[in-house]
Amino acid sequence: MPYRFLSHTADAAVVLEAPDEAGLRAAGVAALRELLLGDSPVAVALERPIRASGNDTAERLINYLREVLYLYDAERFVPAEAAAEGVRGEPFQADRHRAIREVKAVTYHGAEVRRGADGGLRATVVFDL
Amino acid sequence: METSVRIERIDAYRWRVPRHGGMRTDGLIFADEGLMRDLEGDQAVQQVANVAHLPGIVGPAIAMPDIHWGYGFPIGGVAAFDLETGVVSPGGVGYDINCGVRLLATSLSISEARPRLGALVDALYRTIPSGVGASRSDVILQRRELEGVLRDGARWAVEHGFGVPADLEAIEANGTLEGADPGAVSDRAKERGKSQLGTVGSGNHFVEVGYVAETFDAAAAARLGLEPGRLTVFIHSGSRGLGYQVCDDSLETMLRASAKYAIPLPDKQLCCAPLASPEARHYWGAMNAAANFAFANRQLMAHYARRALGQVFGPEAAERTHLVYDVCHNIAKIERHEVAGAPRRVCVHRKGATRAFPPGHPELASRFRDLGQPVLIPGDMGRYSYVLLGTDGAYRETFGSTCHGAGRRLSRHQAKKLARPRNILRELEAQGILVRAATRGTVDEEMPEAYKDVSRVVDVVHAAGIGRKVVQLKPVAVVKG
Repeated sequence: MPYRFLSHTADAAVVLEAPDEAGLRAAGVAALRELLLGDSPVAVALERPIRASGNDTAERLINYLREVLYLYDAERFVPAEAAAEGVRGEPFQADRHRAIREVKAVTYHGAEVRRGADGGLRATVVFDL
Repeated sequence: METSVRIERIDAYRWRVPRHGGMRTDGLIFADEGLMRDLEGDQAVQQVANVAHLPGIVGPAIAMPDIHWGYGFPIGGVAAFDLETGVVSPGGVGYDINCGVRLLATSLSISEARPRLGALVDALYRTIPSGVGASRSDVILQRRELEGVLRDGARWAVEHGFGVPADLEAIEANGTLEGADPGAVSDRAKERGKSQLGTVGSGNHFVEVGYVAETFDAAAAARLGLEPGRLTVFIHSGSRGLGYQVCDDSLETMLRASAKYAIPLPDKQLCCAPLASPEARHYWGAMNAAANFAFANRQLMAHYARRALGQVFGPEAAERTHLVYDVCHNIAKIERHEVAGAPRRVCVHRKGATRAFPPGHPELASRFRDLGQPVLIPGDMGRYSYVLLGTDGAYRETFGSTCHGAGRRLSRHQAKKLARPRNILRELEAQGILVRAATRGTVDEEMPEAYKDVSRVVDVVHAAGIGRKVVQLKPVAVVKG
């Protein structure tokens, strides 16, 4: 599993680990999908473009995930996996997808990406619930 | 994620985080020994110290006894800033701008109402949409109407038939914050908000029917219409997706502003801009508009709660239900306070904290002027909530602020694990509390044990003199998202 949730009293904090930025985005989408939909299956049917900018890796990651969350919340586009220039998934279908929780936002709190001794990247992201 | 910040005990209910490093002032935490122990192992105290780094802070960075780990500011955080040298920070307000609570008092007693509580909670569940992404099909705002909501808040709602004019004077700021700029609210935010007015949402938001179970100040309780046994309706919600989007939209601008104005940030979520800057003015206009949306949201929910009471108990029950008060939990406001013996206008951020103005404060409506401002403190859905009054002590020490709730003690994951082998709905029903919820998951995550005992928080506030207990309410029926 490229992500694991940390104990956080009020919100949700997750550690993402991946060899590169694209891997961090993939892990971030997987974590966000679990928070929103639990283990509901999500098909890779459509791709929506996302342009996420930022001054550093952490800001780019947060800004990317903010867009994924916006697409889910405002346009009911359920994320399945990260794509090179967007996110793949499908429209929300009440008979297949169980919306288990509201995620208000992807925060910048403690946003930091570090490179480990093995050369891989490690990021912590806090979601406001 | 443990804190290494030094803490000094001042007295039984006050702790100092001494200024060090880049801090511009001390931190001041209101808590007893037990509540301080609850903070071990998370970052809440560090977050108090972080807030003390912000430019133009006036007085200490304050935390209430329900302090817990948030993002940017701790939940339960209060900080005031000088209008010329200080800043506004969206992280000091939160995503759910003007999340808050309102309390309605009915003319019914619990003994009269108890036989029909099942019908009442069903009617509330039908009438007030709850759950993830809840929306209304009967109130979809056209652009001009939404702009009216953003500009006028609860006043818009009353003018459009949702409630009565007397409601407005029982709402903080009369339900309309000045300085709202609907044009500063993005199309994305407006899109998210247009069908969510009058919905409770999910998570810790709720509509709760309760009754006055214990009285601490009979004269004040009678003035507020909260006699022993009186049936009440508590509503907790905020600005829904519109507010989340306003905050989210502001953060990239504020990160750039922090760099532009050379403001060092101990946490990016504290990104901010000088109050006099164009970036701050833009956020201020959008934040106040979102706050007005939240006031209107609670006003509509109160209207539908009255309708549900009318359906179950007859039209007179709806007509005789009055608004006790409505307070913001997440907001920044310009207020006049006394600082070092002199009056001064400052920008007070309250994130998970409640305004608690004392008797005599000119901003209070005449019917509250000699009492002080009613303060509403919800607990958890299995135990109790409180009504307090604002005090001179709060005005002197905390920029007229007090606590806002119980504060979580278990993460959602821990709560679910604890609840899994049990049936929380049945357990609550066995205690005489009916629950209607969109999902079992929310009920498990919000189980009573997930929260601290709110009486511990309220007792500290009362003993420290930053709030005064009036009554305790006990729940009998709850609608959860």
